[in-house]
Amino acid sequence: MTPQLPPTPPAIVRTQCLSCHGPAQASAGVRLDKPLTAALAKKVLAALAYNGAVKMPPSGKLTPMEAAPLTAWARAVKPEKPHWAWQALTPTSPLALSTSPPAPSPGRSFFAGKGGSDSDSPFPVRHERPGEGLGERFIDTYVLAKLQSKGLSFSPEADRRTLIRRLSFDLTGLPPSPAEIAAFVSDKRPDAYEKLVDKLLASPGYGERWGRKWLDLVHYGDTHGYDKDKRRDNAWPYRDWVIGALNADLPYSKFVQQQVAGDVLTPGDPAGIVATGFLVAGPWDFVGQAELREGTVDKEKTRVLDRDDIVTTTMATFNSVTVHCARCHDHKFDPIAQTDYYRLQAVFSGIERGDRIYGEGEQLTPGSPTNGYHSAIEKTAEVEKWVQVDLGKPQPLDTLRLLPARPTDFTDTPGFGFPVRFKIEVDGVVIDDKTGADFPNPGATPYELKLAGRVGRVVRITATKLWPRTGDFVFALAEAQVLSGGKSIGRTAKITALDSIQAGRWSTDFLNDGFDSRSGFGKLTYAALPHAPRMISLLNRGEVESPKEAVGPGALFGTAFPDTPDEGQRRAALAHWLTAKENALTWRSIVNRVWQGHFGRGIVETLSDFGKNGAAPTHPELLDALALWFRDSGQSLKKLHKLLVLSRAYKQSVAANPKAEKLDTDNHLLWRQNRRRLEAEEVRDSILATSGALDRRAGGPGFALFAFKDDHSPIYDHTDLAHITDPTTFRRTVYRFTVRSVPNPLLDCLDCADPSINTPIRNTTLTALQSLALLNDPFLIDQSERFAKRLAALPKDRQVAEAFRLALGRSPTLMERTDALAYVQKNGLENLCRLLFNTSEFVFVD
Amino acid sequence: MLDALALNFLENPKLHHKPRAKRVVQLFMSGAASQCDTFDYKPELIKRRGEKFDPGGKIELFQSAPGVVMPSPWEWKRYGKSGRWVSGLFPQLAECVDDMAFLYAMVAKSNVHGPATFMQNTGFVLPGFPSMGAWLSYGLGSLNDNLPTFVVLPDNRGVPPNGPANWGAGFLPATHQGTVVKAGAKTPIYDLFPPERPYLTPQSERDSQVFLEKLNKTHQATRPGDTRLNARLQSYALAARLQLSAPEVLDIAGESPETRKLYGVDDPVTADLGRRCLTARRLLERGVRFVQIWSGADNGFPRRNWDSHEDLARDHGMLGAELDRPAAALLKDLKARGLLDDTLVIWTTEFGRMPCSQGGKGRDHNPAAFTSWMAGGGIKGGTSYGESDEWSFRAAVNPTYCYDQHATVLHLLGIDHKRLSFRHNGIDRRLTDVHGKVITEVIA
Repeated sequence: MTPQLPPTPPAIVRTQCLSCHGPAQASAGVRLDKPLTAALAKKVLAALAYNGAVKMPPSGKLTPMEAAPLTAWARAVKPEKPHWAWQALTPTSPLALSTSPPAPSPGRSFFAGKGGSDSDSPFPVRHERPGEGLGERFIDTYVLAKLQSKGLSFSPEADRRTLIRRLSFDLTGLPPSPAEIAAFVSDKRPDAYEKLVDKLLASPGYGERWGRKWLDLVHYGDTHGYDKDKRRDNAWPYRDWVIGALNADLPYSKFVQQQVAGDVLTPGDPAGIVATGFLVAGPWDFVGQAELREGTVDKEKTRVLDRDDIVTTTMATFNSVTVHCARCHDHKFDPIAQTDYYRLQAVFSGIERGDRIYGEGEQLTPGSPTNGYHSAIEKTAEVEKWVQVDLGKPQPLDTLRLLPARPTDFTDTPGFGFPVRFKIEVDGVVIDDKTGADFPNPGATPYELKLAGRVGRVVRITATKLWPRTGDFVFALAEAQVLSGGKSIGRTAKITALDSIQAGRWSTDFLNDGFDSRSGFGKLTYAALPHAPRMISLLNRGEVESPKEAVGPGALFGTAFPDTPDEGQRRAALAHWLTAKENALTWRSIVNRVWQGHFGRGIVETLSDFGKNGAAPTHPELLDALALWFRDSGQSLKKLHKLLVLSRAYKQSVAANPKAEKLDTDNHLLWRQNRRRLEAEEVRDSILATSGALDRRAGGPGFALFAFKDDHSPIYDHTDLAHITDPTTFRRTVYRFTVRSVPNPLLDCLDCADPSINTPIRNTTLTALQSLALLNDPFLIDQSERFAKRLAALPKDRQVAEAFRLALGRSPTLMERTDALAYVQKNGLENLCRLLFNTSEFVFVD
Repeated sequence: MLDALALNFLENPKLHHKPRAKRVVQLFMSGAASQCDTFDYKPELIKRRGEKFDPGGKIELFQSAPGVVMPSPWEWKRYGKSGRWVSGLFPQLAECVDDMAFLYAMVAKSNVHGPATFMQNTGFVLPGFPSMGAWLSYGLGSLNDNLPTFVVLPDNRGVPPNGPANWGAGFLPATHQGTVVKAGAKTPIYDLFPPERPYLTPQSERDSQVFLEKLNKTHQATRPGDTRLNARLQSYALAARLQLSAPEVLDIAGESPETRKLYGVDDPVTADLGRRCLTARRLLERGVRFVQIWSGADNGFPRRNWDSHEDLARDHGMLGAELDRPAAALLKDLKARGLLDDTLVIWTTEFGRMPCSQGGKGRDHNPAAFTSWMAGGGIKGGTSYGESDEWSFRAAVNPTYCYDQHATVLHLLGIDHKRLSFRHNGIDRRLTDVHGKVITEVIA
């Protein structure tokens, strides 16, 4: 008898499996007529073993004769290559690249560490130094190795005029002046280029240019967005903080930590509060947040979406992951569970958005985050209530000044809560008695009592007849200022009261906070306002109506943080998690963003998506080498910029090369530098610089390029001529007041980022409306006239040449000069200036 | 990468199937037009006038506690062969019911104007997404290179909630955003012409065009192999053509007295919408792909859009009288010119209004049921899809979201809504998100 041959795997599958797991039915989403994935192979093995939850086939365990080939078939499925982004940073010598294909020496997976082999950390650590022995120019070694493997090489270095123009725009967003160009072109010192780089990195323009890029990423705006696009007048300190932090070269992990939890991590430092402007930079639904009633489904929806914006921005910005895809279900492509997503919501579940005091100011500023003190509410007026200021020790007192409340979250009522009858005591002695008769409500006028140097410690205000609200009675005050030696000395005093509602904008703490209900002496910034964390539930399909289990704070890959009611500690935990040395995503993300800024395309083209659906790195070894170098060499962004712009790769010419174009059309391997069109702000700033009108004053409240009219929905009119041509608006565009609902027409058609969305990289278009704007916008016409006036000061024979030098950084050719002279003769200097702003040479950088 | 996008307007659109329509005009009622005072007839409201409103279940209103049942202040009548009911607010539109397909069970995902207006325009309640017109521009390109592909005609009282973000390109290239045209204004398109200056004359403009082209061509010649530089030259040529074609298309002086009368251009009540509807027809005739006409501005006071919380008869009355004649004229005129066959007309709003009263005379927001209609290119006239309940309080049969309506619009234009996408921040974004069902029931 011949031994029976065992059946082949396809035959077994056909007879045993396909009726349920084939094209017809695909039961449980499983099809066995297609190639097995590693995950499915694992399931198949478990089911065949017949000892787990799933047993297959359901009719009974396969005979060993059938099971053996099938098991072998499933075992033969190789695990998929782990996705690069979830791997630890891995040093690979560039010398290995040119000879053999990159040897993947995958570090252990970023998240697989949970199994806990040799380390408790979820992140594996490697200690080798990248590019060791290659010197500071290791970038070129990596890039050249790839080029050479394709038979390509670098293009020649660009000429000096091109280099200084490129560098100036890339590092500061401004063109070099003719004098700067001349000096650099004739500077024969070997380190002339490096000196120029240092000078540009040290200039305030660096933070302005790269700060703008950061603001794109975090969708910063100066209004709330949506319907009723209200002003957000105190957002700008965050913008200034970003620019300042970049100019001061704050180490990157500090830069990250401050934005997530600066108020918690550096409690004494006002900048820590300002930096949390990051979390609240995006749009905010005023109607949903402020006007919808509590307890409604729509209110809850508004809150979930608001936190979604914070979670999305944080994780996309710092880790280049698309965690927002896991709001309704586990991420379809990346190892991000829905629970991870809601853990991140729980990290931010204690913050609201609003104005926060971050320091004391000298001048009264409009706006107040607080109302003052408010007693419990009574049914009758004849109830006694007191509030008192305890200065800690007796001291001479000059004046007591009571500022009546005038809450902004209530119908406008000057004198709100001011007592009808009251008395004032110092250390138990009545010094002012208004209990005998009704006192006329002072409205908005402060009530002042002269104390004439009387020595005292405790000042108590007692209401003996309360102020009538609608149907009930209260005692409220905005501020009780105790003045001594011309100064308010009550700011650190202890405030106590018989009772207080302690809710929202009312608290005993607010009686002496430097703010009445409408204005104050504190500096305000739009920031994260800490509260007790709300409970976060995993939402089935992301729907508020179907909450499932409660979820505590944590981060990606199953990371749970201590479930503390202290919301600040939740954010602090995330800040540390994000900046952990082992979090490879953080370091790759930032070096890739800076790389994109200098080469036009990231090593990973999808700057904010390192997931499976994103692009693969063109130079994975270089990416990791840069990330390691950056992480371990002080995390200085300025040093990183310098490293990149000193490379041969950066300094190449943009010139065409037919042979290279054939092999690498899109220049992925960097056989030349990429030409780029200026960004919207660079165009406007360059025009101002060229016309001589640019005002370099930095910081402060945003300047308005629009006429403003407050209304039910405020009106922002960007076509208002007075604002467009007002010299106080001739500042760098990064300092403008950015309106979400109404874009600036000129900047918008130059592809300015929409402040309602995270913009890691801008579109670049060349449209008819853009051409019309550059030709006809009143700003362009006005600036052309200013430019012409600047030239008119020169002798006639030098005007044309100087116009070219100022606008394009070079002298005109003979033919250009002849043409331009004839054109000016006929049409005037203004027209020439306007045309120069419209040349391709003006808006492109080689 | 960039060139392809910049040059999108030059490409031949690649359609997924044979289109039924080539262009779209959308009438958007800002502020939420009531379904139960326009097209969704509910005798129950008349029968139970003044009774306590009790449809069962929890009712959460935007501003108020539910008042009593309030019938429409307008009489209802049946019209056309289809016998559709229309209220007395729209006597002229009523004559067109046999061309319309009604969606009676529209549902919004928010009861707040801003998010809901975004949703109806872009498919998302959040800001930052491309509007339908931008998607069409991206997907289909232009029919006329001398005019913008997507034109918006806002109410002359101002812009709707969310402002221009309603017609933004979101993450799509800026070229796809709606171009605002102020019909009848001295400068109908911002920056179309320079401000007046003695040195800017027709002759100087011609000289400038020639000289600029020479400078840019010289620049391009020394930098071969970069298609963007050529695209830029072309963008200036297109700008020059737009300067010639825009004034022509916006000038209605040549329209006959009959046409002016049809649209109500010379009646102060209908003058603004009349001019804009007529302008829309002229734009569509010349190949503009998507025209969006707004009825109503923001939600402020005195009321200037459909948000009739206080006095529905007064405020819907005013808005309705402005809209009825011009909108009906547009339908009739398109039909008379044979354009309705391949022009899709859409009437919509962000959500509906409550069948009960607010403060005696007004109506609060109702996201759970509202009406929209479509007519023209590929639509089966006189039909309907979906039903609201006996109150028009909730969608009862075939609840329909903007996803379904958007999917249907794209379908009629030859596009599979699941295959028109753009990668943004890691997601292949669609107008219809992960939803959308083509409403074949209303397709001819």
